[in-house]
Amino acid sequence: MKIKKYLTLTRAGIIESLQFRLSMLVMVIGNLLYLIVIYFLWKAIYASADSDVVNGMTFSDTLIYLVLATALFNFMEMYTVWQIGRDIQSGKIVLDLVKPIDYRRYIFWSFSGSFVTNFLFTFLPTFIVVTAVTHGAIHMGLNLLYFVVSVVLAIMINYSIDFIVATICLYTESIWGINMMKQVIVLLLSGATVPLAFFPDTLRNVVDHLPFQAIYNAPLTLLLDGDPDMKDVCITLGTQLAWCVGMFIVSKLFWKCSIKQITVNGG
Amino acid sequence: MKRKGLRFYLRIYFKILAQDIKSKMSYRADFIISTLGMIFTNIAGFVSFWILFRSFPDIKGWSYHEMLFLYGFSLISLTPVQCLFDNNWSLRSYVYSGDFIKYCFRPINLFFYYQSEVFDIKGLGQLAFGIGTLVYSWNKIGLACTPLMILKIVVFLITASLIMIALQNAAAATCFWIQNSFYILDLAYRFRDYAKYPVTIFSSVFKFIFTFLMPIAFIAYYPSLVILRPDDVPILTWLSPIIGCLFFYVSYKIWMYGALKYNGTGS
Amino acid sequence: MKEIIRINHITKEFKVLNRREGLKGSIKDLFSRDYKIVRAVDDISMSIQQGEIVGYLGPNGAGKSTTIKMMTGVLEPTSGEILVDGNVPYKNRSKNAQNIGVVFGQRSQLWWALPLIESFRLLKDVYQIEDKQYNSIIELYKSLVDIEPLLHKPVRQMSLGQRTLSDILAAFLHDPKIVFLDEPTIGLDVSMKAKIRKLISALNKEKNTTVILTTHDMGDVDALCRRIVIIDKGKMLYDNDIEHLKSFFGSYRTLKIRVDGDLKAQSEVIQKEVPDFAVSADDEWISILVDEDKKKVMDVLNQIQSSHSIKDMKLEEISSEDVIRKIYEEGVE
Repeated sequence: MKIKKYLTLTRAGIIESLQFRLSMLVMVIGNLLYLIVIYFLWKAIYASADSDVVNGMTFSDTLIYLVLATALFNFMEMYTVWQIGRDIQSGKIVLDLVKPIDYRRYIFWSFSGSFVTNFLFTFLPTFIVVTAVTHGAIHMGLNLLYFVVSVVLAIMINYSIDFIVATICLYTESIWGINMMKQVIVLLLSGATVPLAFFPDTLRNVVDHLPFQAIYNAPLTLLLDGDPDMKDVCITLGTQLAWCVGMFIVSKLFWKCSIKQITVNGG
Repeated sequence: MKRKGLRFYLRIYFKILAQDIKSKMSYRADFIISTLGMIFTNIAGFVSFWILFRSFPDIKGWSYHEMLFLYGFSLISLTPVQCLFDNNWSLRSYVYSGDFIKYCFRPINLFFYYQSEVFDIKGLGQLAFGIGTLVYSWNKIGLACTPLMILKIVVFLITASLIMIALQNAAAATCFWIQNSFYILDLAYRFRDYAKYPVTIFSSVFKFIFTFLMPIAFIAYYPSLVILRPDDVPILTWLSPIIGCLFFYVSYKIWMYGALKYNGTGS
Repeated sequence: MKEIIRINHITKEFKVLNRREGLKGSIKDLFSRDYKIVRAVDDISMSIQQGEIVGYLGPNGAGKSTTIKMMTGVLEPTSGEILVDGNVPYKNRSKNAQNIGVVFGQRSQLWWALPLIESFRLLKDVYQIEDKQYNSIIELYKSLVDIEPLLHKPVRQMSLGQRTLSDILAAFLHDPKIVFLDEPTIGLDVSMKAKIRKLISALNKEKNTTVILTTHDMGDVDALCRRIVIIDKGKMLYDNDIEHLKSFFGSYRTLKIRVDGDLKAQSEVIQKEVPDFAVSADDEWISILVDEDKKKVMDVLNQIQSSHSIKDMKLEEISSEDVIRKIYEEGVE
């Protein structure tokens, strides 16, 4: 069975990440502290504002948005760029390329294990805590379903972007700089640091036409909307799907061309 | 054997540093991209700051320009850790692969020898950003520019740097005990983002935590009070230079203890 | 001769985590862990004189690296005492470091991006080498190997052989009393191996430096060491002259013959005829390990010839490799 060989990689990833129990504890604690900082910061910000609703978002909206954005970031950030970059620098990538499995998929599924553990150990607890703290500000209904679908699409878009960035490493031999730029751009333009609703109109306009907002802003907007309009949901998911397919094709083609380059030039 | 005083170490440091910069320049692409990455990070930080304050005139009595002052201050105080102690980021992989042992055979201080190996020039870009921001906000707030003020700010910048260095050393040293300690270092790194907010926004419990347990409040807030709120400076601020040295010393001891305990598992 | 290293009954124990298997095991490990104590070095004593080259041998995981780490001061023994030139290494690591040089075959200690000469200059400062001494050793290096082309090459661009050579030169630069070489010839081709052995031997003679060499390559041992120490599973098996070891096993010789028919089947027949000796067969030869104290090789040959027609034969002296393999397997009685 084809899927079985991928699930084996998932299982190995789970086992591997479970071995580091202290790092997991750190992840949970770190997350918690992070949330606390966000909570107090925005509480102070809203306390200083004139009204309860700023840019169409209440304090609890903003809080949920940012906290879940961070949680999503933690569980989506798989440090793939580092991994692939290191493989390229050490030359280990050659070994992976000859494995009877597509490299792009191989990396994805190798990381999928830490995906599962990260989801269980960071995202889920965060979600529960936030729901409790905001006293049910998150509407429990169809929006949860939309959210899950949207997150899956977001993961794939994120992975494609990561993979494109990693492919650039083939040319530049620079990991740190590239990864830094990627992380900063994605976090800012996807609305993970400041909700996109706060952006000035011109900037917002630009950001809406980039793939990054489909990673954090799209799923979170779907989640926060307690009374979703079918048309809006379709537009958001449709845009995500379009980005997902588009980025997938771009990353795949880019990788293929680049690999050819390597094999021709002998790396 | 001759005594190894400060002059001995300084001479070696500058020799190694000169060589390191020379060799960094030989990887041109990496150097340029990393510098760009650093500039991007700072621009992004600045933009999110700006977006935030567009919607809110002040936070708990701290005006835009005062917050900007804190921001600039934190950027400058983070420069030494970025420039001089960047090798901490590689510590984990050296320990993991067993290559760390190569640092153990030299007749000079292990911590010094290890840290001296890398000088990160990118940090200088951050320094320029920080100074620019600080000078701008200094003017806007209309602070006097007396030698005493300059002295104060230099002393407290050094203090703040020491604390950040101490945090990073301690976080990096965890890799001697914990296998996957990258998360801890990453956590410490991310926390510096919160150093730029006034600690008054937190509840008293977390004020305590950020003052004593995870002393990020010393990175910008307490030192800045000397300049921004000269009538209302808590005793902690005046103690902070001593606290800075103490933290640094403790972190150095932890680092060295870990390194000496480290038994080079990879044989 | 002056004693340079003194080791008295050292032992080193490590705590090792027992990991459970499978997904269930990993989840269990999350909540409870059990550790076991592993004794990597078990009651080892030895004394090494100034100027000796000692081959320190043992299979992988025997405790060689652990012993060396203790001698260099990186590790503290669990019990026992080590003195290196009168110092306790782990108590005074910095002072001990001035006296020793270390080379790990696969791990360069040079600055990766720097040309060799810059690494040398940095080491000159780090070890506080006097100009005169530095210049004379560089002159010595120039007379021993062709280092001119290496001096201005960054270490990362060197071949493995050049890197090892450079690492060895760097280790001898500050004129240490002892140099530890951990598998210096691993992964090198034959001519490079010979070059490195020649260099080590020359530096040892010139500077009277004590050299402690761990290796799996018997060529290194035969070319360099008069004395060998063998350990396995943390315990010392042998510490004496290599000649002594050979003479101990000297009465053994391997008789190799070729006969008609299937060699495997024939070897079993021969085994019955000479039950005292081990007989084995490969694709080409039937080997008989003869103990000449019991029976002369010629007699064995005659005995076999009476029942088989021997097409070809040869006689092999036992090599150090065989001897050491035999010790690993059976120990010295």
